[in-house]
Amino acid sequence: MTAPFGAERRAAWLRLLVWAAAFLALGAATALMLLARHRLDKAHVALVYLMLVLGGSAAGGRWLGLTMAAAAFVAFDSLFLPPYNTLVVANPLDWLVLLAFLVTSVVAAQLLTRAQQRAEDARRRADEVERFARLGSETLNVARAEDALHAIAAVIRATLDVDRCDIYVRDDDSAGPRLAARVTDPRRDPVDAEPPRLDGRSLVAWVHSHGIAASERADGTLHVPVDANPDAPVGWTELAGARTILVPLRVRTRTVGSLLIMAERGLVLAAEQQVFLDALTYYAALGIERARLAADAASVEAMREADRLKNALLATVSHDLRTPLTTIKALAHAVTEEGAAPGDRRASSIEEEADRLTAFVADLLDLSRLTGGALRLAPAVNTAEDLIGAAAARAAGVLGDHPLSIVHDPDAPVLTGYFDFVHALRIVVNLLENAAKYSPSGTAIELGARQDGDRLVFTVADRGSGVPYSERERIFEPFYRPAGVPADIRGAGLGLAIARGLAAAQEGTLTYEARPGGGSLFHLTLPAASDRPA
Amino acid sequence: MALASILVVDDEPKIRALVHDILRSETGRILDAATGRAAIEAAESARPELIVLDLGLPDMDGADVCRAIRGWSSAPILVLSARADEAEKAALLDAGADDYVTKPFSAVELQARVRALARRSRTAPLPGSAGPLVVGGLTIDTAKRRVERDGAEVHLTPTEWGVLRALVASAGRPVTHRQLFLAVWGNSEGDAPLYLRVYVAHLRRKLEVDPYQPRLILTEPGVGYRLALEP
Repeated sequence: MTAPFGAERRAAWLRLLVWAAAFLALGAATALMLLARHRLDKAHVALVYLMLVLGGSAAGGRWLGLTMAAAAFVAFDSLFLPPYNTLVVANPLDWLVLLAFLVTSVVAAQLLTRAQQRAEDARRRADEVERFARLGSETLNVARAEDALHAIAAVIRATLDVDRCDIYVRDDDSAGPRLAARVTDPRRDPVDAEPPRLDGRSLVAWVHSHGIAASERADGTLHVPVDANPDAPVGWTELAGARTILVPLRVRTRTVGSLLIMAERGLVLAAEQQVFLDALTYYAALGIERARLAADAASVEAMREADRLKNALLATVSHDLRTPLTTIKALAHAVTEEGAAPGDRRASSIEEEADRLTAFVADLLDLSRLTGGALRLAPAVNTAEDLIGAAAARAAGVLGDHPLSIVHDPDAPVLTGYFDFVHALRIVVNLLENAAKYSPSGTAIELGARQDGDRLVFTVADRGSGVPYSERERIFEPFYRPAGVPADIRGAGLGLAIARGLAAAQEGTLTYEARPGGGSLFHLTLPAASDRPA
Repeated sequence: MALASILVVDDEPKIRALVHDILRSETGRILDAATGRAAIEAAESARPELIVLDLGLPDMDGADVCRAIRGWSSAPILVLSARADEAEKAALLDAGADDYVTKPFSAVELQARVRALARRSRTAPLPGSAGPLVVGGLTIDTAKRRVERDGAEVHLTPTEWGVLRALVASAGRPVTHRQLFLAVWGNSEGDAPLYLRVYVAHLRRKLEVDPYQPRLILTEPGVGYRLALEP
């Protein structure tokens, strides 16, 4: 931190130089005019001095201008107004000349310096605006959001010339405030005192939970305005003179962190510094928000990557499982055909288990596609009867001794929907399989479709034991298994979860309803096709 | 022994061995290829009468292999695929494959599909073009544009007739949505093909005993339709 001192010293030298040059010029002009005194008019002299005074004010400011005016006044009077070398003025009218000179030079010096000051103010304000803008863009652009918080803390500390400036982040109230940036005055010993405590808790935590500024006065007492309105602007004047102040950093109405300023000698805030602090606390709040968003984005990215890996793994696993399963199934089939002993069900059991494993692999793959958002949809105008027919054909093997009755009106118009046929088929087949699995042997399973406004509703009805009230939503959760069902009947518990996911993916729903007279009704709704062919 | 030779294309030696075992009774000679490039070369040099092609070869897209072979060979191509690959199945059929079997398949299923394809390649010309196609209680005469159900004529609209004719032309094999669009409307653009499934529904109501459980015009989910030869 030697640069500011060097700069200050240089400025002092420069000022001295300007003064010396100004008086040198005044002296030289006076000497030159003395040589030609007899040929000069009073007005010439007054104009030359006026020029020099104006030049002096322009270069050295108001005080140089006024000092030069006074010196020029004396020189004018004593050297150029007879009688010479005295301050006495012989001709009373010359007093008028002198007075006019004095007034003109003083007023001119004042006006000039004021104009200069205005220009200077404007320049400083432009600088300030630019500094804010830079800070703002830094807050948003710095590669690591935490670096921006550090930059803001450094600017606040230097601008207010305080001992320390901290920025705390409010991540999670249970974990307490987290220190994100701390900047101390490099010219002094670092102040590493902890923030004041209130009721055994850090005052920082209190500020976070209340959203109100608090302070520690020079005498060590705390100023904690419990009833203050968090939405009102920070009362800086109230905080003046404090040793430590803590200001909440808020984005809209949410407190995202806090700013701590420590000044052992007591905090003094000029009006413009208050404006500056208001702006900077806003930037700091934005910086914290950005850090949070960046962290969220990073964790979302990490999760997406994990999902991608999981999907790749599942796809590989399912492909690698399918090859041995194909071999096992075909070999078991060959053994069955090539004369296993009568009644020996071992080979056909192997074949059935291979089929079950294949279905399970397909389920896992579908579930991972659904949860990973990798499901491919090919929606098209489809007819209800096509779906029902295909479902009946595909489920034929698993319905066992349950007769399937298709509820329909042969004279009704063709019902059309806009959905993905393959996924819808998977849902309906799954519902039929479930119905067969969970209803007493020999009972009929009904499948039907109807149009309800802009929805097609497919319903699968059985005469099983139904689903207890408390379980009616849980059955759609992955890996749900009904209690009291033998392990060899129930599957992995993925069917309904996948079915509901597949329905939702194409703007459909899958719901359960208890069937009057006992049993279950599963309703699959899908969007109806909006118009018909001519 | 219906076929002189079959080419089996799969990068998994175990699956190749399995397909060998299953198809040994169907052919005199089985050739192997582990990559798409090898498959195209073998198809060109050895002229197999049927090709079993697995999806997911390491070096080439299955559809490209199909197109390359179709450039100069009319040997039926049977695709082995996983269940979830409907879009890929359709793409392969569009590229010239004739049928598919979904993994894991049973030996009976694979043998049946191979036999059906072998029969069709032997009995070409197209079904129904030599005379009316009789299936179930239906008689479909494409030359006379006449369909009879149990002796009574069934009236079809021009679009319904177009769909039926396209299915008859590939009877027993899957016809993709795209192939139907092209056969009936000449392109796959515009509004009309949107309603292909609705025309099929109307066709079923006229031809099937129970349009909700069709036995004649079968749905190949995500791929297209198939006219069953043995209802």
